[in-house]
Amino acid sequence: MRLLFLLSLVGSMLATPALAQQAPYLPFYSPDTVRVHQMAVEHRAAVQKYLVTPKSVSGEYKDHYKRIAQEAATDVYNTVRYSALVDPVLNPYVQGVFAQIRKANPQLAAVQLVLSRNPEPNAHAVGNSTVMLNVGLLGRLENESQLAYVLCHELAHIQCAHMERGLRSQLTKIHSKEVRKEVKRIVADEYNISSKLKALALGLSLNSTFHHRKYEKQADSLGYALLKRTSFDTKQAYRVLQLLDKIDQPLSPEPLAFGQYFGCANFPYPLAEAPAKPKSIFTVAAPTKTVLETTDTLKSHPDCAKRMRYLKELAQGQITDAPTAPTPEFARIVSLSRLESVQSWFDYDCYDHALFEALQLLHDEPQNAYLRSVVTLSLFEMREHLLKHDFYEVVGNVSKHHPENFNQMLTTLYAWKADDYKGLLACFAQNGAAPAVPADEYALAANYAAAALAGEPTAATLKQQYQSRYQDGKFAKLLFPKPVVSGKKSIR
Amino acid sequence: MFVKNTLLAAAVTLAASAALHAQTQTLEGISRVSRTAIEPVYAGNEVKGYVSYTKGDKADRKNDNYLLDFYDQDLNKVSNITLQKPAGKYFLLRNAFNGSAFAMYYYNMKEKTLELETYDTSLKKLGFKAIGDLNKADMMAMQQSFATQGNDQEAGGGMMGGLTLFPVPNFGFVRNSYEGMMRGFNLQMYDDKLTPRWRLSSDPKSKFYESINMTQATDKYILATIMRRDGMMSKKINAYMVAIESATGKKVFDMPVETTNTEQLSLSSFTFDPVKREFIAVGEFYKLNDKPFVNKSQGFFIKRFSEAGKPVAVKNYGWHNEVAAALPAEARQSVEDGFVNYTQSIMRGSNGNTYIVAEQYKVVGDGLGIAMAALGGGTSVSKGKIANMLVFSLDPEYKLNSIKFYPKDPSVAYVPPGAGLMGTGLLGMYFRQSGQFDYQFTQKNDANSQFNVVYINYDKEKGEATKKVIGNVAFGDNGQFKLDKIDGTSNATASFLYPAKPGYVMLVDYLKKEKKIGMKLVKLNI
Repeated sequence: MRLLFLLSLVGSMLATPALAQQAPYLPFYSPDTVRVHQMAVEHRAAVQKYLVTPKSVSGEYKDHYKRIAQEAATDVYNTVRYSALVDPVLNPYVQGVFAQIRKANPQLAAVQLVLSRNPEPNAHAVGNSTVMLNVGLLGRLENESQLAYVLCHELAHIQCAHMERGLRSQLTKIHSKEVRKEVKRIVADEYNISSKLKALALGLSLNSTFHHRKYEKQADSLGYALLKRTSFDTKQAYRVLQLLDKIDQPLSPEPLAFGQYFGCANFPYPLAEAPAKPKSIFTVAAPTKTVLETTDTLKSHPDCAKRMRYLKELAQGQITDAPTAPTPEFARIVSLSRLESVQSWFDYDCYDHALFEALQLLHDEPQNAYLRSVVTLSLFEMREHLLKHDFYEVVGNVSKHHPENFNQMLTTLYAWKADDYKGLLACFAQNGAAPAVPADEYALAANYAAAALAGEPTAATLKQQYQSRYQDGKFAKLLFPKPVVSGKKSIR
Repeated sequence: MFVKNTLLAAAVTLAASAALHAQTQTLEGISRVSRTAIEPVYAGNEVKGYVSYTKGDKADRKNDNYLLDFYDQDLNKVSNITLQKPAGKYFLLRNAFNGSAFAMYYYNMKEKTLELETYDTSLKKLGFKAIGDLNKADMMAMQQSFATQGNDQEAGGGMMGGLTLFPVPNFGFVRNSYEGMMRGFNLQMYDDKLTPRWRLSSDPKSKFYESINMTQATDKYILATIMRRDGMMSKKINAYMVAIESATGKKVFDMPVETTNTEQLSLSSFTFDPVKREFIAVGEFYKLNDKPFVNKSQGFFIKRFSEAGKPVAVKNYGWHNEVAAALPAEARQSVEDGFVNYTQSIMRGSNGNTYIVAEQYKVVGDGLGIAMAALGGGTSVSKGKIANMLVFSLDPEYKLNSIKFYPKDPSVAYVPPGAGLMGTGLLGMYFRQSGQFDYQFTQKNDANSQFNVVYINYDKEKGEATKKVIGNVAFGDNGQFKLDKIDGTSNATASFLYPAKPGYVMLVDYLKKEKKIGMKLVKLNI
């Protein structure tokens, strides 16, 4: 009987993760900010303690150093305070991987990992005790070993004291006798000061880039050594660099099917054909690059191809260069990270990115209620900004740095008029099967937004429902802002 | 950082990365600014970019570096050009784009020359020309150009002095200059490389004072209006319509807008309808004993002429007859209060409709001014009052379809001492020339199917700070009139409003303390 009970207990424990996989995931939100504030204070104190102003240097050097140290401390506080993701699924998971690395490398100093809500696929190390991993990068990896290599790389930066060394070497250069003499000479020259100073600054910046690149190579190398001591698959290190090489590409390069999502019989899609890309009257060609001036030269990191070659040598050919199917557990981590990224774009008022990522993910999960809520809320907010005449604050410009389908979306967003949104949202609701009763905060907020935009009387009831159910709700301030008394002056 | 540093990834914070690609631009290190520091670049009707002109550091003992920065219509920086020119004495008067070349028109105060520079669309320099021996009238016109910068292409009666550089697609640019004390005019056509092509001058034997205003470049012709007067101060002004062959500079015709002795007409606009191949003149008519342009007009007229210059039709619209009948009820009070209309712009839509934009104004006695004058003070006894906007819409058969009325808070305009006795028409022109109307500009798309009239309303409630509201009246082929109001109140040291690509306006805020200029494209809800 006791055995049976134990077995059933084990069985239920095993079943819990399976059940959790079934439950729809909603991005983490907690109105309680005490924990992240405490974390932020700790990380700030660590940076302040780490960046100690050197002694036998000039007064100017000291002042400059202090200023940078202060900025770094404030920056780490703000990053942790406003972006640390302390959810119950992703954070424990990445902390688990991080702990395994540290256990296998006991010589490493005490370092803490902070999972950030930042949707940009990136990670970085601060001072001697903080590694920041963006949830945007987590959503682009294929397995745990790849995550482990990313973390090892950042730990290597800390182990080698790259931040301090980089800072000192840059300041030593800037405050060197030669540079000071050069600045004096330029100012005394009186003429073309601006272009000469620019040239000097470019030289200094290239010098710093050179050092950074050296550090990246070191971190790749030491990171690989750290990874080797763990039980993770070292072959995946190479694959990480391969993924990074294509990290700016979207999940799918296909154009988004706007007509399919936002057109229906009652409200024909407003744009009969895809709007034309804006044409410029200027035909200024991009500057031609010399052999010495390749795209690689000006980046702080060497091209991935170079890093990959180096790592291949280091691994003596023991590499994986093809995707591997993720385990169900990791697939779930990736999927949840992507939802967190979508929410982050939304929370940072980047409604263009939020809409783009949500529509890309909806392609595979057309009935995902959370993603549908984000689409509705993004459109609602875009229209609000159109009416307020500050659309430019929430929707970016077409740029050669964006993927093609993202640019196509931007062109479409600029072509939609405020009056179109009612039809767009009505069709979007009609083209999906939304439950009659909103199941969660996101769905309720989206239902309110859609009703308010359509001018339906139910909007008032939905607002009441939201405010009574979610008193410190995530969308309370955004959807129901308190009127501000303007004290602005006017200038003729 | 782990990831390769692409431009996007390099953005440190999310906010920064969002701003990086937004339809905005921030220029830093700006210690002084005027509206003319940034100018829109037009290709045809549409704004296709901007050029900003700023003074940089010293280039050598005598010269400064001047920077021309080019942006496209979405405010993406395209390129920049550095010029080394006399320190503190080199000013950009105008820019023009004719579809194949950009022309920059400068005044070199040190050499007392006007200078032209052209560039192709890749901003490679094509030509340079310095024009010396400027007469007094040219110098006066140059001063006037600073005052009306970027705003000289709109209807204004054709009497405003100024130096213009008129772009003519496929041919080049036409530069105007003056003869004597504005007695006559010269037009000089240059090709894209600034090689002189032809010159057209007023007849030196003419007994009239003549001034010319180019209004439109068609496929073959440059259209212009010429005003002829007996003397410089004469108030008897006759308006003529002129078509000049773009290739040769020969006048195809030069005829008075008044075709009978019983007409007293002024001319606001002279354009060509490429569909009907007709010339269209729009202006105002006056009492037989009154003087066109000078006195109060009786209404507006539309006259059409064949390509050969033969009159086809004429239609009059009296303020108290046809116009009053179509006037919306809410506009009637303002007419009873004595407000008259100043024609700000005239457009012809691709659907054949004609739109006339007018702004109401009147001159009133200023109690304090009268008292001061009685006490021997030199203050003006009159002041101007600027009021509501009106848009007249005429169908392709020139029937007055509707008049839209856009009320705004009245603003006060300065009237120079003694000018209170000037004719109402002339005062309207003075208000326009001195930039006292609230009307700003009209934007058109290339297809002439969508228009947007921009004005500013200063809402002064007692006890509250003045609110600045930017009004946009949009209309066009869809037959709808829409009003979109932008709250233009800001904390900036100075804010400026510029034309932008169709469907947008550009707002520029200057923050003196931060030494920053913020340019933003505002999408209109039209």
